Amino acid sequence: MIAVEGLTKLYGDITAVSDLTFTVEPGKVMGLVGPNGAGKTTALRCMSGIIPTTHGRIEIEGSDLRDDPLAAKKLLSFFPDEPRLFDYLTVRQHLEFTARLYQVRDAVARSRELLDALEMSDKADALPAELSRGMKQKVALACGFLHQPRAMFFDEPLTGLDPLAIRRTKDLIAQKARDGAAIIISSHLLHLLEEVCSHVLILKRGKKIAHGTLDEIRAEHREGGRESTLEEIFIRLVGEDAGK
Amino acid sequence: MSAPVNALGYLVTRSLVNGLLSRLRRLRQPKYLLGAILGAAYFYFYFGRLLGGSRMPWGTGGGPASPHGPEIGAAILFVATIVLSWILPASRAAIGFTEAEIAFLFPAPISRRTLVIMRLVKSQAALLLFSAFMTLISGRFHLGSEAWLRVGGWWVIMNTLNMHRLGASFALQRLRERGMADGKRRVFVVLAIVAFAVLVEFMRRRLPTPPDLTAALSGRGNVMDYLVQVLHTGPLRQVLAPFKLIVAPNFAHDAATFLRALLPALGIMALHFIWVVRADVSFEDASIEAAKKRAAFLAARGRGELRARGKSDKARTPLWRLRPTGFAPLAFVWKSLLKSGGRRTLGRWAAFFAVLASGAFALGRVDRLTHPLIVTAFVIGGGCYIALLVSFVMIGQHSAAQLRQGIAAMDLLKTYPIPGWQIALGELAGPVLLGSLMQWCSLCIGLMLLSIAPPLHSHLGIIAAIGGGIALLLPTFNLSTAILPCAGALLFPGWFRPQENAGPGLENTGMKLILGTAQLLAVVVAMIPVAFFGAVAWFAFGKITALTEWRALVAGGTAMLILAMEAGLGIAWLGSLYDNFDVSSEP
Repeated sequence: MIAVEGLTKLYGDITAVSDLTFTVEPGKVMGLVGPNGAGKTTALRCMSGIIPTTHGRIEIEGSDLRDDPLAAKKLLSFFPDEPRLFDYLTVRQHLEFTARLYQVRDAVARSRELLDALEMSDKADALPAELSRGMKQKVALACGFLHQPRAMFFDEPLTGLDPLAIRRTKDLIAQKARDGAAIIISSHLLHLLEEVCSHVLILKRGKKIAHGTLDEIRAEHREGGRESTLEEIFIRLVGEDAGK
Repeated sequence: MSAPVNALGYLVTRSLVNGLLSRLRRLRQPKYLLGAILGAAYFYFYFGRLLGGSRMPWGTGGGPASPHGPEIGAAILFVATIVLSWILPASRAAIGFTEAEIAFLFPAPISRRTLVIMRLVKSQAALLLFSAFMTLISGRFHLGSEAWLRVGGWWVIMNTLNMHRLGASFALQRLRERGMADGKRRVFVVLAIVAFAVLVEFMRRRLPTPPDLTAALSGRGNVMDYLVQVLHTGPLRQVLAPFKLIVAPNFAHDAATFLRALLPALGIMALHFIWVVRADVSFEDASIEAAKKRAAFLAARGRGELRARGKSDKARTPLWRLRPTGFAPLAFVWKSLLKSGGRRTLGRWAAFFAVLASGAFALGRVDRLTHPLIVTAFVIGGGCYIALLVSFVMIGQHSAAQLRQGIAAMDLLKTYPIPGWQIALGELAGPVLLGSLMQWCSLCIGLMLLSIAPPLHSHLGIIAAIGGGIALLLPTFNLSTAILPCAGALLFPGWFRPQENAGPGLENTGMKLILGTAQLLAVVVAMIPVAFFGAVAWFAFGKITALTEWRALVAGGTAMLILAMEAGLGIAWLGSLYDNFDVSSEP
């Protein structure tokens, strides 16, 4: 479970994220949406312990990220928007390095399983320069899944992928949720989020302007008796900030 | 903590091995093999003699006047570096991680303290290499085993400096978080230094009289000896003591002295280590920002740009409003001038040259010039000529960089309904025009200043004629030299891949040597007809008039015509290369 209470991040006088509170239960997928500069990436980085929060409390499966960061971090994975890999480590070596960081005992067997599942076995000894963007994304996914995290944070995971890769990534995320992980995804591809997410949180200028299950949000923002799509609700709520 | 450090060891060793293998595999291509052989030969002949004990040209030849001199000098340099690390930093505390390290290490179960230790451990390889390099260029490798003591000494100095810089940035970050602005902090540090200096001076007056400064300055004594005595006898001795302890291992001549000096130095290093790892300051945000900037810089360098464009870049005002119709290459010139800074930056340059020219003109009107004024005129005039010489290389490089960016956007350029020669002319004309204008200004101001000197004053006419001849040649010469690297980039795009040529490596150095030599040869070949016809004009016109000024101008004009013809042919050739360039073979 991911529990966030009063998450605030300030950069000097600028408020990037303001007083964010929500929980994501195991098996649930929450979509984090908002226009560019709304604070999505900053919020995800705070929740995954990459950068410190200014105020607020974040718990991963009951472990407080501020008081016991190592215990909390063992249970989470962060997937950045752009897969950033080491130039001179092969795919297999990326997994070995990650296993060492997270002390994964059955790393060899798990790596093989993951590479098979992601159809990357034949690329195990390739360097990142030999891989396409989609394949690099798969390496990042394999490394993130290796220690079987209970909380996952995806920052724009579907951007730049071909339709097949989008389908596979969506399936993988749904599978991880079925396995009991709590997941937060930020994306601009709202129609795709509708397929994967159980909940949605809409951010505008760092502040939460809507939060709930998809059905709750649709019911809350009906227009003329007709149920709106997430895209229509988003544009209505975010207004002038959309498209910036 | 051992697991992350083990992981770091795995990352560093694997990356090193894979990187070496990757470079070795690249040697299968003849161009890289040839580059590696030439690069190895270059390094052997350039640095090989240093292994035999020679020093770099800037190395000091004579021994110091006092045995304490170098040690005290090194300690003072150390103090200066440390003081600067408390004054200069203006940004938040950041640790140099790459984007990949941030992606893997920051969300991993690794404490902030371990991250700092990992970074310090990782920097050791670079510091050791730097220490060996410093020992090499100071010509100490001929000392046999003593050379390794020098490497160790440098390692201690560099490590302590590195940790102090990091510790200072953490401490400053803490001050910043507590509300102290950077300006206020700088004033505070400078005041503290001044107060300290006053205290030292006050204490020194109560001590025995220092050595005689007047005698040292009048040449009866040695200034260095004087400084050493002042720094070695008064309270400054105590002030410099800890810094001397750190640099002491670097001055040991045998293993026993080295070990004796090493222990206190390691103690100070250990204290720094404890200070840095216990700081617990938030460096994550600034480190992410720094990694992003570095990645953007590397990407910009890959595109052939000198710096990365940032959010702070403002929109620039063009020099003129571009009409939608007209000669298409003018649009490229317009774009190039805008890229070079637009009206504001170019206006600043114009103002700079106008001030210099006014100063030179005013100096020329002074009836009796004093010696300092003549020296100043010579220094600035000489500087103008040095700038002129440097510009010959810079314009060629700038044009090649412009064209490399053009190649990167070739799929767009190819869709334009204009012939290739117009694209080539447009891409090159901007940098050549700007470069030539600056060269004219430098040439003109340099001539004005140098002609002030009495020996040259009587030959003003000849100087002006030679200058005019050179000025005529400059634009076409610049265009001709710019064509060559651009043609090379279009003919051999694989050789001009900036990402592959960047960074250290024997093969990269060798490839740069090959390209530089080829460019030089091509310039020499292109100048043969120019020199021939210029000389013919000089002698032929000599039969009509004996005036050197006119002969110089006619010879310069003829040479310019020949160069212009060569440049025209070159542009036409570049145009056909553009038209026939296969985008699919683009790097």
